[in-house]
Amino acid sequence: MLKKIGAVTLIGLLTLTGCGSQTGGTNNQGGSSAGVKEVKIGALLPLSGAVAPIGETCKRGQELATEEINAAGGIKSLGGAKLVLDFADSKGDPKVGMSEAERLIMKDKVAVMTGAYQSSVTYPSTQVSEKYKIPYVVPVSVMDDITERGFKYTFRLAPKASWYSRDQVKFAKEMGEQTGSVPKRVALVYENSDWGQSSAKGWNKSVPEAGMEIVLDAPYPSSSSDLTPVILKIKQANPDLILFTSYTSDAILLTNGIAEQKINAMGMIGQGGGHADPEYLKNVGKNAEYGFDLTEWSPDLGKPGVKETNAKFKQKYGVDMNGEAAESYAAMYVIADALERAGSAEPEKIREALAKTKITSGPGMILPYDSIEFDQSGQNIHASLIMVQVNNGQRSTVWPFNAKNPDYKVVWPAPKWTDRK
Amino acid sequence: MQTLIAATLNGLFMGSLYGLIAVGLSLVFGVMKIINFAHGALVMVGMYAVFYMWSLIGLDPYLSLVVVVPVLFLFGYFLQGKVINPVLKREFGRNGHAVILLTVGLTLVLQNAALLFFGAYYKAAKTFVSGMTWDMGGVVTSVPRLIAGVVGAIVILGLQLMLSKTDLGKAIRATGQDREAAGLMGINDYKIYNIAFGLCLAILGIAAALMLPMYYVQPEAGKIFEMRSFVIAVLGGIGSLSGAFYGGLIVGLIESVTAQVWSATAAEMLIFVVFIGVLLYKPSGLLGK
Repeated sequence: MLKKIGAVTLIGLLTLTGCGSQTGGTNNQGGSSAGVKEVKIGALLPLSGAVAPIGETCKRGQELATEEINAAGGIKSLGGAKLVLDFADSKGDPKVGMSEAERLIMKDKVAVMTGAYQSSVTYPSTQVSEKYKIPYVVPVSVMDDITERGFKYTFRLAPKASWYSRDQVKFAKEMGEQTGSVPKRVALVYENSDWGQSSAKGWNKSVPEAGMEIVLDAPYPSSSSDLTPVILKIKQANPDLILFTSYTSDAILLTNGIAEQKINAMGMIGQGGGHADPEYLKNVGKNAEYGFDLTEWSPDLGKPGVKETNAKFKQKYGVDMNGEAAESYAAMYVIADALERAGSAEPEKIREALAKTKITSGPGMILPYDSIEFDQSGQNIHASLIMVQVNNGQRSTVWPFNAKNPDYKVVWPAPKWTDRK
Repeated sequence: MQTLIAATLNGLFMGSLYGLIAVGLSLVFGVMKIINFAHGALVMVGMYAVFYMWSLIGLDPYLSLVVVVPVLFLFGYFLQGKVINPVLKREFGRNGHAVILLTVGLTLVLQNAALLFFGAYYKAAKTFVSGMTWDMGGVVTSVPRLIAGVVGAIVILGLQLMLSKTDLGKAIRATGQDREAAGLMGINDYKIYNIAFGLCLAILGIAAALMLPMYYVQPEAGKIFEMRSFVIAVLGGIGSLSGAFYGGLIVGLIESVTAQVWSATAAEMLIFVVFIGVLLYKPSGLLGK
């Protein structure tokens, strides 16, 4: 019985693909601009399972942007066509993600895809859309490989994972240039599993390139009962700059130990993980002051529209926007911009328009990037991260300089421990 | 040089604390021949007890010992009497696997109960010694670690005196050496078991109070210390209290000094290399019989 159903579906699918090739894509929401009333956008997200809360956050970002775009008159070059989000639940599972992507493309005939939050789902589902030549805009997933497979239909807004180590160093270098306190000696302190080790690989390239010297390379097991040995090692190396890749408990132990041993560095820079965990600030208290953390987005970002958009979001959903919501929101504007320039809902035309994207202002630009522009591989070359500094228990955006919180002045170098109250 | 001295001191202090935790494990094994897999979870229970005395009543962790130690002793006494002994009795004369499984089950119960009632959050007590340091000509030592090291050594010494000099101590040792012969001499062996387990919990209570000013508590906080305890107790000779103390010092020193001359990852490896080396050379451990 089951086999029979399978066979029938298969025949059905074959007929559908057959139709598609015969009529040259006109069944995809119509090839001519005149008859288009709405453009269907497939949104693949983990809407159930362990990561469902983050999937929901992405969905909210997409919905808010879509409402705004439609309220502003839709896609004007398509006679005011409205955007329609077609949600599919990946359950956070790559296999489900692939079959759902297939369903969105084949059955629902979406013109563009977006999603899928987790790199592990984005990676195979972009492969599906590549096969069917449907453009896929990736707002969040950071795994490097996603845009390194020579795909033509995958476009990523977010920075790559390896850019985290790059931007930590870039920030320190620019702070040195700006203030005259130039860091030279760098200590690398990282947990010794694959996350930390891939960071270290990045640092080993970016630190020497920035003209700094690595004076300490200190991997450690994140489940250590005592990190004093690592802290003493940092003390002996006497670095100007300490770069971390840490989980929560080790970030707590390291920060407290560095305060105890009064290790004075110009800057101590984390990259999310433990340093971004609210538990971290709660547990280390004052010892976290003047520390930096690299992150995707922050509601205090000094860019036009951020405050207003965040207020709208908060009014609608009761919480502040976060990085995932902001990136998903911006991705809808990237899609709308491409549709506008394409003047068509045909996937091929949309792809061509996406490849020529150059957005520097407008409602979608609530991200810290200067502009959105994709290279040959589909990667947004201007994607960047932001740096926040902890002061009085608050995280304030300090970098990139043109997106900083205008009400906050960065403290660099950090005051000596003995000078702190 | 200064860092090396500081690292050595830190290794000795932490080692003494590790030794104190391992002593509880060694005592339970020495008397009852039970390998207690709930040891780490019981460390966590002690830490939560100390933490809540501090956060709810405002009692300093060191002062809270006055309350926490007797309470934990009673908790251990009844845990042994009501939960472990019945299984031990039924298992009498057999291999005793059920008791090991029981302690594993106990771990899961305690950890998940902590998760349920206290949440997965990291909780730390900020006391007057937290973050306090002592600077001796450039050798900076953390005061809570110094206190932990010194008090740990004193407690182990006191326990050893108690076991060798008092009647109760002699009864405990007799039960550990030959349970049936001790029974024939009029010693109530199950009651001794209760007391030994109670003592183990009391020791863990002290260790918890020493740790809290410099550490955090979380449902899995005891796990790392449990792993260390097993290595130390076996390294020093399981059942031997001074063996556990020296084992603790060795592990603490390796951990702290190796990280200076090599790396923290290497330290983790070296501890187990030494462990395997000692077992190959002397299977009963350094001071084991």
